Amino acid sequence: MSNHLYPLASLVQIEQTPSREDGIPESLEEDLRAYGCKLIYQAGILLQQKQVAVATAQILFQRFWFVTSMKQFGVGDVGMGALYLSSKLEECPLRMRDIINVYDVLLQRASHSIGPKADQQFRYYPMSYFGDTFYNLKEALVVAEMQILKRLGFNVHVVLPYNTLVNYLRLLGLGSNKEVCSRAWGYLNDALQTPVYAMYQIPTIVCASILLATRHLSIALPSEPPTCWWELFDTLWDDVWSVSGHIMRLYRPESSEETQLVVGMLTKKDVRRWLEENATVLPRP
Amino acid sequence: MDAVEQENSERQKKWLKDKKIGEGTYAVVYQGREAGTNRKIAIKKIKVGQFKDGLDMSAIREVKFLRELKHKNVIELLDVFSAKTNLNLVLEFLDSDLEMIIKDRSLVFLPSDIKSWVAMTFRGLEFCHRNWILHRDLKPNNLLIASDGHLKLADFGLAREYADPGYKMTHEVITRWYRPPELLYGAKYYGSAVDIWSVGCIFAELMLRIPYLPGGSDIDQLKTIFRALGSPTEEEWPGHTKLPNYVTVGQFPKPPLRDLFTAASADALNLLNKCLIYEPRKRITAKEALHHPYFFALPYPTHPSKLPKCSTKQDTPPLGEMDGNLNGKGRKRKLSSPDGKVRSIARKLDFGQVVAGSDG
Repeated sequence: MSNHLYPLASLVQIEQTPSREDGIPESLEEDLRAYGCKLIYQAGILLQQKQVAVATAQILFQRFWFVTSMKQFGVGDVGMGALYLSSKLEECPLRMRDIINVYDVLLQRASHSIGPKADQQFRYYPMSYFGDTFYNLKEALVVAEMQILKRLGFNVHVVLPYNTLVNYLRLLGLGSNKEVCSRAWGYLNDALQTPVYAMYQIPTIVCASILLATRHLSIALPSEPPTCWWELFDTLWDDVWSVSGHIMRLYRPESSEETQLVVGMLTKKDVRRWLEENATVLPRP
Repeated sequence: MDAVEQENSERQKKWLKDKKIGEGTYAVVYQGREAGTNRKIAIKKIKVGQFKDGLDMSAIREVKFLRELKHKNVIELLDVFSAKTNLNLVLEFLDSDLEMIIKDRSLVFLPSDIKSWVAMTFRGLEFCHRNWILHRDLKPNNLLIASDGHLKLADFGLAREYADPGYKMTHEVITRWYRPPELLYGAKYYGSAVDIWSVGCIFAELMLRIPYLPGGSDIDQLKTIFRALGSPTEEEWPGHTKLPNYVTVGQFPKPPLRDLFTAASADALNLLNKCLIYEPRKRITAKEALHHPYFFALPYPTHPSKLPKCSTKQDTPPLGEMDGNLNGKGRKRKLSSPDGKVRSIARKLDFGQVVAGSDG
């Protein structure tokens, strides 16, 4: 049993994730990760869950895909499981039925948005109280919770970046600049939709959020050797730059085909179907 | 089978189950050993019902905190693995607990023995608090004793982090007899002082050999506390009348501790007194307690290996005998016997002992 409290993915895991090994292209995997995290976030808001628990869920979710392929588990199910597990870890337990109801709405809305009636207004049809939908989702939720624990080797310790950001901004004399603070804070939240929290240490991610915020607002920080501000926080430029790239990727314009593809692959069944249809095109290991 | 499944099954092979030693609502406990070294271990198998609420909260807490805590006076979590839908915790095997020792009338405690147990309790607790973890269920039967005499804090099913000041927590924790007055009054904001009160009660129990403050109900618990220590005044404990569940239970005078603890040294009473201060912020901390003169005065604490031990060896039949007696009445009686050693280990490792049902 390893004693690392803050586990990060290994280089091998990053270079070849289990999903990629199964033939899912890198960009598609990143999009699915981001979409799964958006679902967690939306569900968290609808459930009025604490941000600490929602962020924890997103990080556990991101770690999960470094040890498991999306062919085996759907991003919808694992998102539910992560939200449920994190609610227990952060001592603000959610009811299973609430999570299931909220996910049912979100998934129905998602499939409506790519369905034949996408131009019409979305109407939610609640599931029946003792119906199959509920029991299927409930079983998926229980399985996902256990699988997350098991596959992460019961490493559920998560470090959140917010207090580090506050300290760094104060140190840089930007603590009272509201614009910088809220932008950097926002980048940290958006970064939860990328795998960076499972790949880099917190200081690196925080520096990336400060870099993006200050660059967008044209605020100059000492960036010429030998006085580079990120070195103050023991981070490397290449890492900071790479994290920034991951975050900025979220904002690129997405074609409607891309969106359709991602929203249509939220379950492992969809993923398997897609893999079968596209197997000839893709180089399989 | 992917890499994760493979690793899990390899871990599983490392630990062998020998026999069941107890069962609770949430877990079954087995005695086992490590393949290769034959080191004795305990395997706590947590039942996961497909139609329940997923994994039990106390199981998650226990895994979360024990993974972080590695200390001579805290039970060690050796490994975790899953089999089918079950979660298995591999813990070090500890054969008795402080409650068994206190109740064993054949044992005589020297003042240095008590000092040794209290010191080990404080050491383990100081380590938890240093890592911002509250135990929230300290009592003699959660203090396990290893075969070499070392005392270890166990059962982290109610533990939680408390780094965030001003964060609401449930007051329905800690077994009643060891619960501090602020929790009985329904305080939702509290800290490490709650555990110190429990240690104070355990300290007193070690000297008296019977529970110090055995209340029959929550209200009676307050009465029992005030009868022993006097009713708190506004000066002693500012603001306590404003706590959510504040009730008046009558006025009691403060009797000197010396009347009850006739044999205790002045240092011992001073430390006990500081553990049982009403105002939580004035109560001694685990770190301060470790520097208390009591621990530096003669007699020095007994070496763990020389501490009194339960003589319960004959209660547990050797493994072979147990197996040969499968359909006899003897075995059944052993497992359900309330005084047997087997039974009491099962109880300690039992999640069913949780005081509070929900938390928040």
